[in-house]
Amino acid sequence: MDETRARIAHLLRRTGFGPHPGQVDALAGAGVNAALEAVLAAPPLRPDPAELGTKDDYAQLVRWWLNVMGRPDAGLHEKMVWFWHGHLTSSIDKASPLAMWRQHQLLRTHALGNFRTLMQQITTDAAMLGWLDGDGSVAEAPNENYSREMMELFTLGHDAGYTEADVRAGAIALAGWHVDDKTTKVVFSAEEGPTGPVTYLGASVREAGQVVDAAVDHEACAPFVAAKLYRYFHGVAPDAPTLGALATRFRASNLEIAPLVAAILRDPAFFDHRNNRARYPVEWFAAANAVLGTDGKDSDVLEQLGQEPFSPPNVAGWPAGPRWQSASAALARAKYAWDAADDSEVVSTSDPVGTILAKASIYEPSDETVAALRQAVGAVEGRRDRASVLHALVVTSPEFCVA
Amino acid sequence: MTTFDRRRFLALGAGAASGLWLAGCSSGTRSPSAAVGSPTPAAGGAPSSSAPGTGAAAASGKAGSAKAPAGKATRRLVLIELDGGNDGMSTLIPHGLAGYGDLRKRTRVADDQLLKMTDQLALHKNLKGLKDKGLAVILGVGSSKPDGSHFEMMARWWRGDVDGTADLATGFLGRLCDQLADPAARIVGLSFGAGNHPALQAAKASTLAIPGADSAGYLAGADPGDKARRAFQDAVTQMAAAPRPDAFGDARRGTRDAVGVAKMLQALDEEKTPAEYPGSRLGQSLRLTARLFAADPLVRVVHVPMGADFDTHQDHPGRHPGLLTELNDAVVAFLNDLDHRGLGDQVLVSTTSEFGRTAHDNGSNGLDHGTASVALLAGPVKAGVYGEHPSLTQLDEDRQLVATIGFDHYYATLAESWFGIPASEVLPGKAQSIAGIV
Repeated sequence: MDETRARIAHLLRRTGFGPHPGQVDALAGAGVNAALEAVLAAPPLRPDPAELGTKDDYAQLVRWWLNVMGRPDAGLHEKMVWFWHGHLTSSIDKASPLAMWRQHQLLRTHALGNFRTLMQQITTDAAMLGWLDGDGSVAEAPNENYSREMMELFTLGHDAGYTEADVRAGAIALAGWHVDDKTTKVVFSAEEGPTGPVTYLGASVREAGQVVDAAVDHEACAPFVAAKLYRYFHGVAPDAPTLGALATRFRASNLEIAPLVAAILRDPAFFDHRNNRARYPVEWFAAANAVLGTDGKDSDVLEQLGQEPFSPPNVAGWPAGPRWQSASAALARAKYAWDAADDSEVVSTSDPVGTILAKASIYEPSDETVAALRQAVGAVEGRRDRASVLHALVVTSPEFCVA
Repeated sequence: MTTFDRRRFLALGAGAASGLWLAGCSSGTRSPSAAVGSPTPAAGGAPSSSAPGTGAAAASGKAGSAKAPAGKATRRLVLIELDGGNDGMSTLIPHGLAGYGDLRKRTRVADDQLLKMTDQLALHKNLKGLKDKGLAVILGVGSSKPDGSHFEMMARWWRGDVDGTADLATGFLGRLCDQLADPAARIVGLSFGAGNHPALQAAKASTLAIPGADSAGYLAGADPGDKARRAFQDAVTQMAAAPRPDAFGDARRGTRDAVGVAKMLQALDEEKTPAEYPGSRLGQSLRLTARLFAADPLVRVVHVPMGADFDTHQDHPGRHPGLLTELNDAVVAFLNDLDHRGLGDQVLVSTTSEFGRTAHDNGSNGLDHGTASVALLAGPVKAGVYGEHPSLTQLDEDRQLVATIGFDHYYATLAESWFGIPASEVLPGKAQSIAGIV
């Protein structure tokens, strides 16, 4: 039964921002496959909009999204919104809170929709035009930023066969767009746009929509997107036959995202790929708050951990890999856990270690972790202090910092 | 690409300008004014390994301005990464080279912003503080096989893989740390930031990412009377103790490193009269670096991603000068602090950037991804300009500057000339150090 619970906990870690206490138990009776199908069938959240127009709209936006991620019913759709935010990045550094909010709505709308449509819309999205300098680019001397990053990071991948000439041609065809800073309204100026067709990725194009079509129809696009999504959910890259099958399916569905994601999660290897990557800071933050019973309003720890919503480190988003298990991160987590672990949640006296591990959905703890928790129980006097130390420890344990 | 931190403090200028300026307080410190004055042409240029011979500026060193460096066993390196791609031609401006005005129609640096280095080359005046402290500028640094991707070129710089063809599992700074590691060292190399940095990836030396000093008390140094906090710290240490390389191995190692760095930060003395630094992330990182250097002689390499935004695709003239000021003010404060602590002869400050920017400017008053750029060295160096500026009239097929020296030669200079480590131990290929700088 612990194996079933461990699998369901894995499913909820990867497809949401939990598990919240009690969720694994609630799903364990029906089994792992039923839990997976429930995850796939869950509807998107439709949260009340953020209240903008205050003094600090950026902080408002961050709080709003972290609050949504922290809901027990935040599931696969929300996890896909986070995926696209880290893939089709934009940042508050070069876009207004209003523009970031509107882009966020765009990502919510298309998170499990059609990739072509998503790319078409994001290309002339106000925040993206600001972030990658499409705003004000003139065809006569175009800005290459979006053209390059769109191929390298959004659709094809580095070394996918495009050339510097493609970067320049794309930049020409993408030129002519402007953003009104106050309203975030996007307008096209034909005078500043291309004067004629250019050859881009072997196609003749003369406007932004055709550039996007040529990129998403390029043979490298479907495997590039499928591989990144596979890694997002599995923690490792797919093998060649798996990737080939996923890319074929993605193309056959006209680049619909939902069937691709379902195929990735139904891949039999999914439940073997447990505990193979760091729990990313937003995942840790939401799950830790669920265990600690905190509201998550103090999100400074995410800045220290290097993962603040709406503020990716660069256009490539937050990198995957073991760099997240750094000394800096461990210190920041310890500080947050200690400060947030108040003593109001008292743990049972008969089996305090078992209680806290179950609350944190850790079903395969290592001997060292169990021994360390037991020793802490013995070293701390008083139920309330003991409860607060156990809570702080369980969310800093190695098991809780891995996804 | 944009990399600057939304919350970085923009306290530029005033704080640094009024920073400590103590000359002659340690052995080997020269008067700052000795570095001012017209450059004297001297030998000491770069080996012309890949020089096309079409560039213009010859090398010039300034004899007599170098601070005598400390013995090799006590030397340290600080590498500041100007992430985003710094425009070399707005840092050291080739105002006297044919073609400059044609290429930079909208982003030309005005004559009143120039500090003369040679007849043809001038430093941007926002780097005056650094020039006065003694700055070496290496021209035309890049790759003979350039790539327009930030991430490809950053990865090459981090690994020390100039053409992107070597098979390297570690970073250049990590390999330096492997060579420099003292068996007694708790930590040899540090990078400022949230995550472990690929540049510092070492085969055996202990290198890690370092946060600010304020979180150290959570993992080390609990008051013995505070039983709960003591139990927490003991248990965190115990959970992380197992060295098994299983699924949780990276997480455990991160925590072990954190306990180590917490102890190190806790051991730093409270400063009675802290040196003045700008409030920028770079300034605060360098401030902590100086304190760590003073406290632990076995820390040898520090990597500081500047976290500014050198990726000036648009409004380059409005943004780049401020970036230079931010760099200048933080590094000058750092050099002054080191001099004050008597460490000025031990620390070489170097810069890297993944690439320079396009030779031509674009219609957004900006500059797109380029190739060659300049590298800067400060500290106990022989001030001046080294190497050959890329031609501004003979560009490559993508209308980009042609690098006159591979960045592996620059790295070889850091390894060999500064640390006395043969380049062949830390770099693939046959990189040679640039003579005469250190």
